[in-house]
Amino acid sequence: MKPRAIVAVVAALVVLAFGSAAFAQSDCKTLVPASPWGPNDQTGATNRVTPAVTKAAATEIKDGKVIAMSYPLTDGVPLFGTRFTKTILTATTLAPGGALGENQLTYMEDTWLSQSHVGTHLDGMGHIGRKDCYYNQTPMGKFITQNNMTKLGLEHLKPFATRGVIVDMVKVYQQANKLKANPACKKPCLDKGTVITGADIQAGLKMYNVTLREGDIVIIHTGWGDLFEQFPAQNALYNSGEPGIGKDAATWLISQKVVAVGTDTWAVEVIPGESPKEAFAIHQMLLTDNGIHIMENVRTDLIAAEAASTGRATFFFNMTVPKAVGLTGNFVGIEAIR
Amino acid sequence: MKDRAPASSRGGRRRPRVWLVVALIPLLVVAAGLGAAGAQRRYVVAFANVTEEPGVTVEGTGFTGREIHDGFVLAARQYPVEMVYYDNRRDDARATQNADAAIARKVDLYIQYHRGAANAAIGQKLKAAGIPVLALNYPVPGAPLFALDNVAAGRVAGEALAEFALRSWRGQPTAAVVVGDLSATADRVPERAQGVTEVLARRLPAVHVTPLDTKGNPAQVGPLLGKFLAAHPTGKVLLAATDDTTALAAKSAVEAAGRVHDTAIVSHGVDRTIHGGMNDRKEIDPNNRGSIVIGSVAFFLDRYGYEVLPLALRMLRGESVPARVPSRLVLVTAANVFLEYPPYDMN
Repeated sequence: MKPRAIVAVVAALVVLAFGSAAFAQSDCKTLVPASPWGPNDQTGATNRVTPAVTKAAATEIKDGKVIAMSYPLTDGVPLFGTRFTKTILTATTLAPGGALGENQLTYMEDTWLSQSHVGTHLDGMGHIGRKDCYYNQTPMGKFITQNNMTKLGLEHLKPFATRGVIVDMVKVYQQANKLKANPACKKPCLDKGTVITGADIQAGLKMYNVTLREGDIVIIHTGWGDLFEQFPAQNALYNSGEPGIGKDAATWLISQKVVAVGTDTWAVEVIPGESPKEAFAIHQMLLTDNGIHIMENVRTDLIAAEAASTGRATFFFNMTVPKAVGLTGNFVGIEAIR
Repeated sequence: MKDRAPASSRGGRRRPRVWLVVALIPLLVVAAGLGAAGAQRRYVVAFANVTEEPGVTVEGTGFTGREIHDGFVLAARQYPVEMVYYDNRRDDARATQNADAAIARKVDLYIQYHRGAANAAIGQKLKAAGIPVLALNYPVPGAPLFALDNVAAGRVAGEALAEFALRSWRGQPTAAVVVGDLSATADRVPERAQGVTEVLARRLPAVHVTPLDTKGNPAQVGPLLGKFLAAHPTGKVLLAATDDTTALAAKSAVEAAGRVHDTAIVSHGVDRTIHGGMNDRKEIDPNNRGSIVIGSVAFFLDRYGYEVLPLALRMLRGESVPARVPSRLVLVTAANVFLEYPPYDMN
């Protein structure tokens, strides 16, 4: 082969190789909006939790009452198909002669084999994308390794020390005389497929005379979590669908500049979705396009009951997210402090 | 004074106009209210389903009547309609009773899904009551018909098989089989076979098409296909299954005969047995691209509500609707199954 021909073949191969790579990567500037907090932002809506927001939220603590908002993380709770969580206890020093020293010290530790999106958990910025484009126009293909993400990990989040607002959708639907419960729920619940609208959320806020503020976290009680509590008996039903917010509600919540939305369901959004040809579209609206966190399997019945008995639907939202580098989400503990 | 008089005079001329405006305000308010009410009007739409008997499949597919019902429930969430559901139980008398009940209830529109002689009389009754009818899959005289075109579906399957053979097996001896409940004329299954055969005859004229009639018993797929494959020990086989259950049974038979590398299967329906939930083992799946089931023609029976209710609303708004609207048909393969059927069930 002549040198010129060899050069031509090599050039063609180079063009093909790089051309293929270019086709595999989407133009994220056309698929995902830019973050309002700048091109380097990896934090998302927790940017809204300013010292002033936290200070204002602290005024919600009036009598120090703490209400749990997490479900137990244990074997048998609803997990999606192949997801798993398994603990292994290390207790070797309990064996005869295993104690250490004259002070007979013994110890135990755990190995926790688990996926991160199990139980009461937070979806981080790297959880959901559109094609290969994630929050803040991040071309995620460039930022993943075999083990984790090198961008948009949980370590970039700011504290969630802000005001929480419980919206009791069961009450809203009961008062509007449109509650269609599922017979498997032992307590009142909205049935799967029920689309919660922006008007529904506003009705729930009005019920307790609450106006949302920038930086709030909105928690919606649908009653569907009752099936989670019945684990494992109702796991299949729990995972088969859920009531949840639709696009209208998501649009309204985005306009309110909230930090996060949580529900007592496994996906926050209505399942089956409003369009049978879309998959988890609300996740994209909240996380990918607006950096608003999603919290799933949140225990909402206790705080809903507390709001009903006191007439107050606001609280200090207490949740610590581990600085888990490069993770897309993690199980969390949440408390409402009043 | 000189100035005042004209002013007074001007005021005198204006006063009737002000009164006119004041008088018109209540009318405008009422009109606006009526307009708003019109825009937000919720129609009462009846859907009389062919059957809702648990486990009973319809149209020679794996879809149940209950799945069609559920599709209407989901679709209705986004439209200003209150749905009323009836079960025709595949029975003329019951279908007539349902129409009577809908007339008594004064529904705004009636969607009739029934295969029976009573359709004509039911159409007459509803017409006399001033209730428009939309027929689903089986005609009601004078009513627009939304229907599955089985011949067209067969043609889509035939094209997929022909394309595969021309792309992968060009020049190799090839035979073709259409297997399924070929005697199910009421479900128009033979029309699927007709569509497949038409296309294969045109695109692959050397290929002979053999019909294998299971008479509705999927357990017959293995013996019938086993005999066929034994009689054709060499060469390639294009296999059109008339439904997904038959396709999966055919796949097993082909595997048992050791002829996986010689066979391509295209099916009809795309029911849940072949696409499934997030964690189901799905035959048509992006992670199962090597399957010999290369595709299935989606009938979308579980999404009829999403196609039929917009037609119903057009009728209710006085817009014209074509006399016959074919239901959507799409060849679903591993490449597009998640676009057409994104899994959401997390079990």
